[in-house]
Amino acid sequence: MDPALTTRRAAIATGGAVSALGLGLETLEAAVRDHPSGLRECPRLAGKGFQSTVAGFVPEEIWHELRQRDPAHADTPAFLLADAALREASNPLWNRRADDRATPSGAGQAGWSAPPASRRGLVLSTTKAEITALEREFRQQPCSPIAQRQLFPALLAADLAAAHGITGPVQCVSTACISGLLAIQQGALLIEEDQADLVFVVGVDLLSDFVLSGFSTLKSLEPGGCRPFDADRKGLSLGEGAGALVLVRSETLAPPALTVTGWGSSNDANHLTGPSRDGSGLALAILRALQKAGTPPEAVDFVHTHGTGTPYNDAMEGMALRWVFGARVPPYCSSKGWFGHTLGAAGLLETLVCLVAARQQILPGTAGLRTPDPSVPDSLLRAPRPAASLRRLLKLNAGFGGTNAALLLEWGGA
Amino acid sequence: MGGRVNEFVIHAASFIDAEGFGNDRTGRRPWPAAGAEALQRGDLEALRWSSLFNSETARFGRMDLLSRLGLMAVELLDAGFETMEPARRDTVGVCVETRSGCTATDLRFLQMPLASGFAYTLPSTVLGEICIRYRFRGPVLCLLPVPGQGGALEAALGWLKRGEAGACVCVACDQLDKKIAASALSPDDLPSGGWQGCAVLLGPRTSGSRELPWRSDALPRLARSFCSPGNPTAGPAG
Repeated sequence: MDPALTTRRAAIATGGAVSALGLGLETLEAAVRDHPSGLRECPRLAGKGFQSTVAGFVPEEIWHELRQRDPAHADTPAFLLADAALREASNPLWNRRADDRATPSGAGQAGWSAPPASRRGLVLSTTKAEITALEREFRQQPCSPIAQRQLFPALLAADLAAAHGITGPVQCVSTACISGLLAIQQGALLIEEDQADLVFVVGVDLLSDFVLSGFSTLKSLEPGGCRPFDADRKGLSLGEGAGALVLVRSETLAPPALTVTGWGSSNDANHLTGPSRDGSGLALAILRALQKAGTPPEAVDFVHTHGTGTPYNDAMEGMALRWVFGARVPPYCSSKGWFGHTLGAAGLLETLVCLVAARQQILPGTAGLRTPDPSVPDSLLRAPRPAASLRRLLKLNAGFGGTNAALLLEWGGA
Repeated sequence: MGGRVNEFVIHAASFIDAEGFGNDRTGRRPWPAAGAEALQRGDLEALRWSSLFNSETARFGRMDLLSRLGLMAVELLDAGFETMEPARRDTVGVCVETRSGCTATDLRFLQMPLASGFAYTLPSTVLGEICIRYRFRGPVLCLLPVPGQGGALEAALGWLKRGEAGACVCVACDQLDKKIAASALSPDDLPSGGWQGCAVLLGPRTSGSRELPWRSDALPRLARSFCSPGNPTAGPAG
């Protein structure tokens, strides 16, 4: 490997989130502490014959606020969500004081200054982008030209970049439910390879009839709300939202900061919609992330799993964790009980959970869990608890097409 | 694309579209008369595995048209994947790019929401089909290229440079629903028939291997140029 490629690392400077829990990163901070559930009966899904109408949906008052703020995008909800997350993530960057050590991320510390537009990049993660535009086209309902355009995820990425004054590299990742972690990987590469000084990584997906009907046909929804790693789990709950984070060179942030140290992906080469039964594909991705970071398995303090609540996924993850960590699996949790499975936003929102968990030095719990499945490793976190030392965090996702991804994060000095 | 590009080469390229199919060694062949008219009209339902290969696969018939195009393009590489050892398959990365995405498949799902069709309403599903057929378990990525920005070739080259993959299959496939997509997509990389599949195999330069000169064109244009009749540029490593 070229030694020059290993000298730079990307760290997370700031973040922004909108989900069933509400608008703002503080909603995730509260969730890590207070362990709520954001899953509820969704009125807009009622009476449509879906397997479940319990979901993690963005509250109507937030939709109202976002539409009021940007009427030109009133019929492009994916843009509105992604834009809201990006605005929150970017505010501390531009509003900072020179000596502002109170910014949540440490952005604004010595050595950091806002780069020119050409050195700012954006990576979008999404599975279905502005899918509601296609639904409206199909039903022959009114659909604005902007919505038609943003049906194409790459053009949504281009529009978000333009709206945020970004003229550097722009990418769009759409690799099922691992899109978010791959987007962070791609963003980190732009920093490591000196193609950008600041990269916005944003993930977004909507709770649409299209997606609900798809998962209903697969019979993979849990009518009462998902219960990841529960002995009686039956399926997942869908969600909607957006998560954004800002990556910069790690040395420009005052410690402590969360640095992206490793990543890996793999394919099960097994099944399109089901995970491999033995967990070996996800284990491969984890081992690749650990290898890139130069981190031994025993140094990992915490794992934030994909944890959808489907019988097969959670069993597969348990096996992958045992494959990598043996009998000493680190504490692990799932956040799907907070905001549902948000598909292309999942990797971003859940990495932000890792960020706020590291800041607060709290190990988050697993919402929805009643009785842990005895077959999964017993280090499953039922409720939040203070961490003795939360330094190396592993984030996992898996998706359709047999895809697996792992991201290793390190909290501490640059 | 600078740096250590010269350590890595394109070993094979393939192409399939309304005009024909082929690879860097055979050049592009026109479709045989039977079925050619339908294919030129863009009726991809006429596209069968047995149209190109001396075998049949039931799985192929269940796929959406984007996956068919991508999988056929990889098979057309004729790269000996079937004899590859399992340990090497674990190091083969698959990087897909698609400008059209799966919008045409999405429309079909809206018309007929079946479980068997839902799996194909992701642009990355073709990647899963390729990995299942050839047992590839290396890194994966599906990019929807933003106009004017890099795509699968650049990403795959990065995997090789950083040692994250031992070889990479790069695939570009597009199935254009003209009514919805025509105004949104760059005409440069989309064929007149509205659909195409192409693939290249990237890997380290090795003694005696097939080798095509590196170029930084967009993937469809690159593959198309290597597969053009009368323009084979393959040669042994030198």
